[in-house]
Amino acid sequence: MALDNLELLKAVEQFLYSEAEYMDSHQYDRWFELWDEQALYWVPCNADEADPNSNVALIYENRDKIEDRLFRLKGRHAHAQNPRSRLMRVVSNVRIAQADAGKVVVTSQFVLGEVRLDRQTVWIGRSQHTLLQTANGFKIREKKVLLLNNDSPMGNLTFLI
Amino acid sequence: MASGTSVNGTSIGNGASMNGHHGFSIERLQGLVQRGRVHSSIYTDPAIFELEMTQIFYRSWVYIGHASEVAAPGDFRLRTIGRQPVILVRGNDGVVRVLMNRCRHRGAVVCETESGREKVFRCWFHGWTYDNTGKLLSVTAPEGYGEDFSVEEHSLTPAPRVEMYRDFVFASLSPQGPALVDYLARATSMIDLLVDASPHRQIDVSAGCHKTVYNGNWKLVGMDGYHPNFVHASVIAMWQRKADSGMGATHRSDPFDGKAATYVRDLGNGHAMLDLRQHRLDHYPDYAKFLASTPGGKEYMEAMFARDDEERARTLLAIAGDPHVGVYPNMQLIHNQIRIINPISPTQTEVIMFPVLLKGVSPEINALRLRQHESFYGPASSGSPDDGEIFERVQRGMLAQVEPWIDISRGLSREFVDSDGSIVANVTDEVPQRAQMRQWLALMTGENSSSAAAA
Repeated sequence: MALDNLELLKAVEQFLYSEAEYMDSHQYDRWFELWDEQALYWVPCNADEADPNSNVALIYENRDKIEDRLFRLKGRHAHAQNPRSRLMRVVSNVRIAQADAGKVVVTSQFVLGEVRLDRQTVWIGRSQHTLLQTANGFKIREKKVLLLNNDSPMGNLTFLI
Repeated sequence: MASGTSVNGTSIGNGASMNGHHGFSIERLQGLVQRGRVHSSIYTDPAIFELEMTQIFYRSWVYIGHASEVAAPGDFRLRTIGRQPVILVRGNDGVVRVLMNRCRHRGAVVCETESGREKVFRCWFHGWTYDNTGKLLSVTAPEGYGEDFSVEEHSLTPAPRVEMYRDFVFASLSPQGPALVDYLARATSMIDLLVDASPHRQIDVSAGCHKTVYNGNWKLVGMDGYHPNFVHASVIAMWQRKADSGMGATHRSDPFDGKAATYVRDLGNGHAMLDLRQHRLDHYPDYAKFLASTPGGKEYMEAMFARDDEERARTLLAIAGDPHVGVYPNMQLIHNQIRIINPISPTQTEVIMFPVLLKGVSPEINALRLRQHESFYGPASSGSPDDGEIFERVQRGMLAQVEPWIDISRGLSREFVDSDGSIVANVTDEVPQRAQMRQWLALMTGENSSSAAAA
């Protein structure tokens, strides 16, 4: 790998770590600032490659809907996050899949520990971010999260993944 | 056999009373379901849960799936009846069957994949192989069996009764009982409200599902018009700032404020609904505007008015395929989904949500139906996780048993019997809870209940 690519990888990793920190610590506004105007937040359900026009997803949201989600979480009556999940995730296996002028596609994996009401749940998945390089740093154009258990019964997934 | 398992010589729940610990007399069960209140042990007691399996889930009609899920010969889906594994499968002969997922040899499941298309089901213990109608094709090394062994008599066991209403497949593990249409009774016309919302009168259950689970009893998934402004306060706040978006369009004025033209309706046999029809009709002009702004929306409306008379077409469009009905014990048609309730244990329940696509409408309308569903339902949504959270709080709270009664008396003083015999009250009243508990008691005690007015 050429040195300039290593530099890009390092920068992308730092971005993903920051995103993880904002999600873990429920810093909703700071997390929202990471998104591009034409955001797409996609968490498929049942299968990783299900066409969202004809298949239900866990999350398939544009910027407006992401904002709705955060508005709800910031309020006092999102009961499934009262108390909030305590979260800690490890982001790893970061790889640049594609790097064009101003656009980087990066894949990574995460192991996420969640503790809520004395129960610990482990969530595992793979993320694919499409990042735009802007004057204000990277912005997320698309984020697709492939949960390892996206075809299994799940409890409460109302925190940010 | 332990004492207390029979009353007047009648034992309740054969499977349960066999081991001598789960016996409940009719009087004891009747004592748990009283006028306007139920004893919380019915939500917590493992012995009650065992009895529910045998008396309710293994006797009553149980919803299995929709025929469109097994559209082609060989298509199959794994489902459960209570805890018993079954295969919903369309055979090469085109017939939809519900087969017990258990090899006739040594009992292993013969199908372990959740869905797919197969010509044969092979048990990988010893290789017994069945075709997709359930017929045993061959056993390995047949010379080991004597002449009295009949391959024909070892087909996969079908559920004793399987019937369909408008492609909704139900099964009963009891060889006897009412015909499906007689059991569904008034609920049939509510299923019609969903199916007939398609211009082709056909729905398509092929969009996958949300599988959710909560740590609480299966009966907590009710049909409740009293909770939305509290459990879903966060969503209502969201809708209120964007009244035109998605479901917000159908909630422009609060259907759950106790003053709207919204009702609860006890349809009999434990089936009950939140009757939102008049409210949705009152807001039809707004909804039509919203629909017209969606690609294919005008064509959809034209097709419906060309097919049906104006009142019916308007009702079907306004309802948008949402009769908001619960069919006892395990199916609900709510918003854009068919929902299956699977009891796992006294304190754990799966709710599987299948968004429904309408045949004959634009892909954009169907995609919108999926996005509307996701916004409120599913593990990562804004609505159903809060329901699950509250159910779990109920399950924890019920462990406090000094005062063990659950109050379901709301509206007892103002409910009335409608002209069709259904019991009606304000949408916030607990008519559905009482309807479900009446049916619960009738099934648990083995007494027939068919009249909704028998309160």
